[in-house]
Amino acid sequence: MAKKAAYMGMLTALAFVFSYLESLFPINLGIPGVKLGLGNLVVIVTLYTMGTKEACTLSLVRIVLTGFTFGNPASMVYSLAGGILSLLTMIGARKIKLFSATGVSVLGGVAHNAGQILAAVLVVENVKLLYYFPVLILSGTLAGAVIGIVAGVLIKRLEDMIRKC
Amino acid sequence: MKRVYRAVSLVAAAALAAGLVLIQRNNKETKLYETKFFDSFDTVTSISGYAASQEEFESQTKLLQEKLQYYHRLFDIYHTYDGINNIKTINDAAGAEAVKVDREIVELLKLGKEMYQKTEGRLHIAYGSVLSVWHAYREQGMQEPKQAALPPEELLQEKAQYTDISNLIVDEEKSTVFLKEQEMSLDVGSIGKGYAVQRLAEYAREIGMEHALISVGGNVCAVGTKKDGTPWRIGIENPDLESDESYVGVVEMADQSIVTSGDYQRFYLVNGKRYCHIINPGTGMPSEYFPSVSVQTKDSGMADALSTALFNMEFEEGLEFVESLPGVEALWILKDGDIRCSGGFEFHEKK
Amino acid sequence: MKKNDVILIAVLVAAALAVFLGISLYASMSTESGEAVVYLDGKEQGRYPLEQDMTVEIEAQGKNYNILEIREGKAEIREATCPDKICVNHRPIEKRGESLVCLPNKVVVEIENGRGQNLDGTTN
Repeated sequence: MAKKAAYMGMLTALAFVFSYLESLFPINLGIPGVKLGLGNLVVIVTLYTMGTKEACTLSLVRIVLTGFTFGNPASMVYSLAGGILSLLTMIGARKIKLFSATGVSVLGGVAHNAGQILAAVLVVENVKLLYYFPVLILSGTLAGAVIGIVAGVLIKRLEDMIRKC
Repeated sequence: MKRVYRAVSLVAAAALAAGLVLIQRNNKETKLYETKFFDSFDTVTSISGYAASQEEFESQTKLLQEKLQYYHRLFDIYHTYDGINNIKTINDAAGAEAVKVDREIVELLKLGKEMYQKTEGRLHIAYGSVLSVWHAYREQGMQEPKQAALPPEELLQEKAQYTDISNLIVDEEKSTVFLKEQEMSLDVGSIGKGYAVQRLAEYAREIGMEHALISVGGNVCAVGTKKDGTPWRIGIENPDLESDESYVGVVEMADQSIVTSGDYQRFYLVNGKRYCHIINPGTGMPSEYFPSVSVQTKDSGMADALSTALFNMEFEEGLEFVESLPGVEALWILKDGDIRCSGGFEFHEKK
Repeated sequence: MKKNDVILIAVLVAAALAVFLGISLYASMSTESGEAVVYLDGKEQGRYPLEQDMTVEIEAQGKNYNILEIREGKAEIREATCPDKICVNHRPIEKRGESLVCLPNKVVVEIENGRGQNLDGTTN
């Protein structure tokens, strides 16, 4: 239990640092909401190595922490919307056992973008924002694939180590 | 343990929902409004800004409208107004006495003198004696197009004797202005509007408008960005009125001014030839180098002065001049419709 | 990566392209029509859809007027009492943000909605 707590703390810190790094070097493609999602890498690794509940906890803690530290209430709500939808999608995708970590990560990436844009549509009441959707599906797929491949490698290496505790 | 997770997920969902509602509320608070009025500088003024309601917006723009009217009266060369000494008062007292004036006139004339030096006389606020001759002939020519004529050369030459800017004495300490020569007169048409727009933009900030767009007859000044952080988009009008394209391109700007001088809106025809309202102090004749020149820089008064000065210069000379000024960019539209820009002018050209 | 992952990525990319094509097709087909909005001394006087041909007399102060004509989706001032006739000589307008201005009569006709660029102002 104590070891588990230690791992969780470490993973949370890692996710936090990744989010910070991403806020330092934003990849600006001229489209709001497009980013690699390094924080998600840690969430996926947690999901596979420790379990659903742990992944949920980590994801929430990360969003709240980074929101308070680098963001504002508005950006926090958007990442909450993206984060929750992404997490639920990934949990579901993992359960149906059709995909490897890469596929799950791709779905998570797309869901994250979808969640953000749906929140934005609700907030500004402008359906025209949906024009961004194709771009966000593409970027979510791409980012998800990259993150997923890295996550796959990490999961393999960390699995045994974490399970022992 | 399970209960804890359930509670946490409920809290997260509630936070998300509440957050969305709050942001939406906040977002709805202000809307973009626009108003137009006609009572200053003989042109149409349009102001765009964000406010919570039409009433709030109107109460703000009413202040701006009054302020603009005040500048209009100060810089007027055709009318006098009770209780204020304006440019006409100065002109009327030429050769006789120094006139005590508002600080704003002193500032305006200081800018005018400075720009005269910088532009080597291409911007000339003490050129009123010649300009008034052209003004009279243009008015006459528009009223009765068949009798439209050019002013006789002797008359222009005679009036040109009274345009020595060193005879314009501005006493900053006493806040007085004196024209040494009785025949001379000031005409601040080429900078007054720009100066007023600049002061108006500053005033808008003071009364809490942090995102606004002010345009007085195409003399455009962006206060901040738009509310969403994106720049204001300004179209540069196509001087070719026969063309299907209204704009030659779009400029995006924040905390910047753009002013255009053109020959295609105010002019008169003599024997079918177009003579515009901008008179080149170098030749004493209407300028004919370009259909239009636009200048973008931070200060609107400066942009106004420079656009007139560039309109009165050949392209090569103007380009060199602009490149020597930091933070100033310009766009020239040539007679054949070609477009030339200074190095840093960023705009989206329409093909 | 499993075979399923590859299929998933392919499907998503295809879906993105399909949605993109659908949207651009829809956007090019939509014929949201603009309106000519008449302002007198800054106050809105009326809105006239550009898809309907018509002639409107705009009554300005005194005995002054401007005749606005809408034909084939474009608006222009046909006739006016102003001395400078700048409004009459102006090209017909049809795209969002374009305007006809008659300073002496304090009349502005502006196109709102419909096709065209989103502009906040013009310099001339």
